Amino acid sequence: MECSFALTGKDYVIVAADTTAARSIVKMKIDEDKIKELSPHLLMAYSGEPGDTVNFAEYIERNIRLHHIRHLVPLSPSASAAWIRRALAQSLRSRNPYSVNLLLGGYDTAEDKPKLFWIDYLGTLSEVPFAAHGYGSYFALSLFDRYHNPEGTVEEGLATLKRCIDQVSKRLVVAPGKYKVKIVDKDGVREVEI
Amino acid sequence: MARRYDSRTTIFSPEGRLYQIEYAMEAISHAGTVLGVLAADGVVLAAEKKVTGKLLDLSASKQGGYGGSGEKIFLLNSNMIGGVAGLTADANSLVNYARSAAQNHLLSYDEDIPVELLVQRLCDMKQGYTQFGGLRPFGVSILYAGYDPHYQFQLYHSDPSGNYSGWKATCIGSNNGTAQSLLKQEYKDTMNVKEAIGLVLRTMSKTMDSTTLGSEKLEFAVLTLDPETKQPKAKIYNAAEIDALLKSEGLAKKDEDTEMKTAS
Amino acid sequence: MSRSYDRALTVFSPDGHLFQVEYAQEAVRKGTCAVGLRGKDIVVLGVEKKSALQLQDPRTVRKVVMLDDHICMAFAGLTADGRVLIDKARIECQSHRLTVEDPVTVEYITRHIAGIQQRYTQSGGVRPFGISSLIVGFDPHDTRPRLYQTEPSGIYSAWKATAIGRSSKTVREFLEKNHKDDLSREDSIKLTVKSLLEVVQTGAKNIEISVMESYGKITNLALEEVEAIVAEIEREKEAEAERKRTRVAAAAAGQAGMFTAAGQSSSS
Repeated sequence: MECSFALTGKDYVIVAADTTAARSIVKMKIDEDKIKELSPHLLMAYSGEPGDTVNFAEYIERNIRLHHIRHLVPLSPSASAAWIRRALAQSLRSRNPYSVNLLLGGYDTAEDKPKLFWIDYLGTLSEVPFAAHGYGSYFALSLFDRYHNPEGTVEEGLATLKRCIDQVSKRLVVAPGKYKVKIVDKDGVREVEI
Repeated sequence: MARRYDSRTTIFSPEGRLYQIEYAMEAISHAGTVLGVLAADGVVLAAEKKVTGKLLDLSASKQGGYGGSGEKIFLLNSNMIGGVAGLTADANSLVNYARSAAQNHLLSYDEDIPVELLVQRLCDMKQGYTQFGGLRPFGVSILYAGYDPHYQFQLYHSDPSGNYSGWKATCIGSNNGTAQSLLKQEYKDTMNVKEAIGLVLRTMSKTMDSTTLGSEKLEFAVLTLDPETKQPKAKIYNAAEIDALLKSEGLAKKDEDTEMKTAS
Repeated sequence: MSRSYDRALTVFSPDGHLFQVEYAQEAVRKGTCAVGLRGKDIVVLGVEKKSALQLQDPRTVRKVVMLDDHICMAFAGLTADGRVLIDKARIECQSHRLTVEDPVTVEYITRHIAGIQQRYTQSGGVRPFGISSLIVGFDPHDTRPRLYQTEPSGIYSAWKATAIGRSSKTVREFLEKNHKDDLSREDSIKLTVKSLLEVVQTGAKNIEISVMESYGKITNLALEEVEAIVAEIEREKEAEAERKRTRVAAAAAGQAGMFTAAGQSSSS
């Protein structure tokens, strides 16, 4: 089942999401990228109803890009989060709401700070030091509580993430096999192997 | 045959000009002066009031509110103030539009609207009024003083055509030519707010029609950062504060009434 | 029935003109000059830039803008109209990506912009856009540079090199005389600057050059680079003039020689 994790560190945010595309109990694909790069310093991991997720993510991506190209300055992570939340909240009250859960990790170049936001399909938004969606969250959050260091280095952050992934693989009946991991910091976005 | 092209709505003249816009700008060049100066740590706006009179009741503006008489300088958002020159009624509706646009941005993005973005929003509106049938352009030029994290303190000017540009110091309204050449001579890139206030007041006193400056002819506002919260703080001066400021800058007029009273 | 005139600003005159459209083109001819030029594998946009006033913030004076990662546009005419039109084009670029997952082609966005401009010549109660635009870029998965132009009437056309705005006729004639197919990067930039110098008397500080070399690779030349090119052109012009002078002098000397010779022969 779908799992996504994210955590902040001293000057970075790590975002990880599984790469399984499933329909009912069948795996259709195991190399799906569920983390979109919305802007040079902004990542969004999405999970939820397949189809809804991709559709919504593309809609967000294009709108954030439009804002950037129109006004020459990119939208800050917190402004992006507020806008995305509103889009979801509006959708929730429409005839066919999107069923999408999001983790939004970005680096605020104006404030020089990493930012992480947890957003769910009901339009809840909260800024957090670490976050998770899916069944994996039941295992990950307690591990984050124990091991997360807000001032930690990238290696430390990746090690904490590894603990979560290992624990999920060990205990969750329907654990996903592979994850994609991306890091955003002041230099932009990069992908790492774990 | 000029009448065919300069009445009713904004349409092109054979030379490709839009007379309605040019006339609107002409009207503004007779309106009360508005002057803005950008400093490293703030922006200063001053405006000349045209509506004066002994019996004018300004008590509402004296207490509370945003300060100012509500004729020339307005708070547009917590990070932005605007000074208007031109038709006051047109200006009022633009100020309203600006305030709701700023609030809409706050609602959507949970942040103060970036300064240039609000200027663009207003200019798009102004441009629309030059292109669509049955409308006349807004007879208003505006100076915007604002702060945002992208470009820090900024000063913009927009005119009835919907053009805008950023400035270090500029002036609109009557005598703007004189004021601008004065600013050109005296402006320095290293100015701080205090020096900018001095420059604004000195320039105003030289360009205004009346010989002495006083709170009944002047509106004044400063945008700075709050030293504690680091958030932009707009201050629109009330009459007493303006008089005190003029006094401290040595530009206050001699108060004849008090002099007479003390003499008698 | 004055109402019907109010509602449609652009109506045919008895001899078949659309005056408002023609007058809008007049507004374009008052605007600053812009030149577009296609080389072998690059495309160059050069614009005449009004010098920013002493106290003005040069950041806010923009003549060349991006519509999307791979498309640039320059315009001549009413700046405020330009801004509104650019905004509409930018929305379409992203909307197109969202709908069909592909970036727009240069022709597509040109046609879209021209389409908007055409609508404003025909629908009720609006005046046309006082804007001509040059649109340059590369199509996705393609290496051929593209250059298009739109006009207030809604016409659009593809060009090897063209100019809009003030004195565009002079510049276009200059380009017609000097443009060759498959120009290199340096030659394309130089020819663009040279053609702009036909109308811009004040030299490099009022010229802005943007170069697009491949999909999404755009560079704006720094003032020093433009200055260097202008200086080079001046030198060439000087050398050319010098050659001409010596040629004329030589011819004159030759003629004088002939005269003296003739004089001698006649005197003898």
